[in-house]
Amino acid sequence: MLLTLLAHQWKANSRSPVFQKSLVLNIILALLILYFGAIFLFLGFNLDTILAKAYPKQSPIDIFNGALLFYFLIDLFFRFVMQELPVLAVQPYLHLPIPKQKLIHFVLLKSVPGIFNLLFLLIFVPFMLSAIIPEYGTGTALAWLFAAIALTLFNNFLLIYFKRQLSNKPMLTLLFGVGVAGLMLLDYAGAFSLYAVSRVVFGALLLQPWLVAVPVLLLAGVYVLNYNFLKAHTYPEELRVRENKQVEGKGIVFLNRFGELGKLIELELKLIWRHKRSKSVVTMSVIFLFYGFIFYGKDTYMDGFAMLIFVGIAMTGMPVFNYGQFVPGWQSAHFDALLTRRISPYQFYAAKFWIFVPTVVLVYILTLPYGVFGYKIILINTAAMLFNIGVNLFVVFYFSVYNKSRLDLSKSSAFNWQGVGASKFLMTLPLLVLPSLIYAPFGFMGVPYIGIATIGLLGLVGITFHKPLLQWTANRFVKHKYKLAAGFRQA
Amino acid sequence: MIEVRNIEKSYNGTVVVNIPELTIATGEAVGVVGNNGAGKTTLFRMVLDLIRPSKGEVYSKGTNVAKSEEWKDYTGSHLDEGFLIDYLTAEEYFKFIGDLHGLSDGDITERLLPFMDFFNDEILNQRKYIRDFSKGNQKKIGVAAAALSDPELLILDEPFANLDPSSQIRLKNLLRSLREQKRITLLISSHDLSHVIEVCERIVVMEKGQLVQDMQTNENTLSELETYFTV
Repeated sequence: MLLTLLAHQWKANSRSPVFQKSLVLNIILALLILYFGAIFLFLGFNLDTILAKAYPKQSPIDIFNGALLFYFLIDLFFRFVMQELPVLAVQPYLHLPIPKQKLIHFVLLKSVPGIFNLLFLLIFVPFMLSAIIPEYGTGTALAWLFAAIALTLFNNFLLIYFKRQLSNKPMLTLLFGVGVAGLMLLDYAGAFSLYAVSRVVFGALLLQPWLVAVPVLLLAGVYVLNYNFLKAHTYPEELRVRENKQVEGKGIVFLNRFGELGKLIELELKLIWRHKRSKSVVTMSVIFLFYGFIFYGKDTYMDGFAMLIFVGIAMTGMPVFNYGQFVPGWQSAHFDALLTRRISPYQFYAAKFWIFVPTVVLVYILTLPYGVFGYKIILINTAAMLFNIGVNLFVVFYFSVYNKSRLDLSKSSAFNWQGVGASKFLMTLPLLVLPSLIYAPFGFMGVPYIGIATIGLLGLVGITFHKPLLQWTANRFVKHKYKLAAGFRQA
Repeated sequence: MIEVRNIEKSYNGTVVVNIPELTIATGEAVGVVGNNGAGKTTLFRMVLDLIRPSKGEVYSKGTNVAKSEEWKDYTGSHLDEGFLIDYLTAEEYFKFIGDLHGLSDGDITERLLPFMDFFNDEILNQRKYIRDFSKGNQKKIGVAAAALSDPELLILDEPFANLDPSSQIRLKNLLRSLREQKRITLLISSHDLSHVIEVCERIVVMEKGQLVQDMQTNENTLSELETYFTV
């Protein structure tokens, strides 16, 4: 029976309309998976040499073990943000003569072959082969790997349990993230070293392989916890992630001052706030603010400009890229209603423009603290912010009339390819790369700051002429609106 | 067959269903009518153990449906599209349901035979997934799948909704012949008063979660109901 259910699961995935519709997207996806898979594999096989070179005084295995607890904490954090609960798929089986226990095992087991649980193997297995086996032998190495797998699955089931218990509280997720960051800081400051703890714990495992029983027991424990909880709650309305059902019909008084434009903005803000997919776009944009830490403060990047421009554009423009790429698909469910109301296309786009402007400015302000890595970052980000508003936003609007695919707003956007077409990739790439290209000739001529000024200036020009640009966008929209409406009507 | 005892369901303090007692005898056909929000579907969901009642229990053949799963063996049901596995084809779905009840492919074909008129050549051999069928055809698949296992108890929520007039009449005849030949117990809800009266010998009226009338059908039932629902 479990096999039949798993076969159904496979069909559900392989027959999902998103998966079947777009061949190009699948190819791009496959290439991405191969690319990252190759990178991870390469990293896995060479990690011991890399670590040995970087920290010649310590053994690579010690360093790797030391990072493990951090890895599992960060893994848990990302699961909090991105992993979905596998629940509602059981609904069509509940009234059929299938024992509930089997359904529960099915629900729990089907979360195992997820991307979060498989990706890490690409690093862990090669590292085990290249570093641990030569040092400790196959048996011990396998025990070590099993411990890592058990802990990953422990994270998997722990998350499922917590997410179901606590529902979606972004504050808790944030607190957890801050907690992990705090632990890292403590380690950095030398007050408390989780690194040392981790090294001792996993080091002990390598010396005493039978200790693998501990993570396996943890895994079994959390599985039983989930099982018992689900056993007592096999009702669809209780299985669903509990959400605060009380709807508040509040308006945003401040926006009333802007007349019909304000109304439209309010409508869109409610749309964003009341749908899972749009909310997760917001979350992703916030997470992206930390993108800078990868680049800033490292001499290889700080000396140049092109990379920093790219980072600046990506950070300050994330809301524009993430949310803008689907405009006007966010309204696809009620697009006909919008077309038949007294809303002019100009107003429609003006409202979007005035949602993006404050958002981008806010994101820009949030990136200002990066200035501690160098005033140059503030300069670049200012230019990037202006460019995003004045140029990129209108490029997004230009392409928006080709977004004919309907958007399902009820699902989270992480790993959600519904409504994503190849055109999205073609659109986002130039947005990200264009500013660096504009800068390039100035960089070669040795006048980098003039290059940055040019980027900012282009943005300012766009902002100055935003009214005619919006009108131009609106005219294009009028030409394409029938195609859009027809596309949105298709489920 | 079915015994509902002191059942109550409330959401955030609002009572949506409150039925002190309802007993359905074996072989009886009961039609539940009531306006939107009267609690018909909630009642059905509680009978099928899909919603946990706030209070009270439902007994099927004397056992509590929430405590044991025996009832699933002899109960066929279709409430809405959520009961279908929409990424399967109709054939795959019938096969799956048939497998659950230990039916061979031959059995399935044989048991679907009476449904051929009802299907109107639009269900089988269509080479498409259930989610791509129209609402009416999805309903046909659901009803046929519910009846496939030769259930002793058949529960259908608004079986006539979304069906074209010919299909409504065919379904009516199907349900009647199922009752005559196999003496199944039938529990259906409907907004179509005349259809439900033709199929059921007992009509239960629900309003705001309460049972307000319980009557045996006779020649006056339709006009009584029409008077009741005329506001």
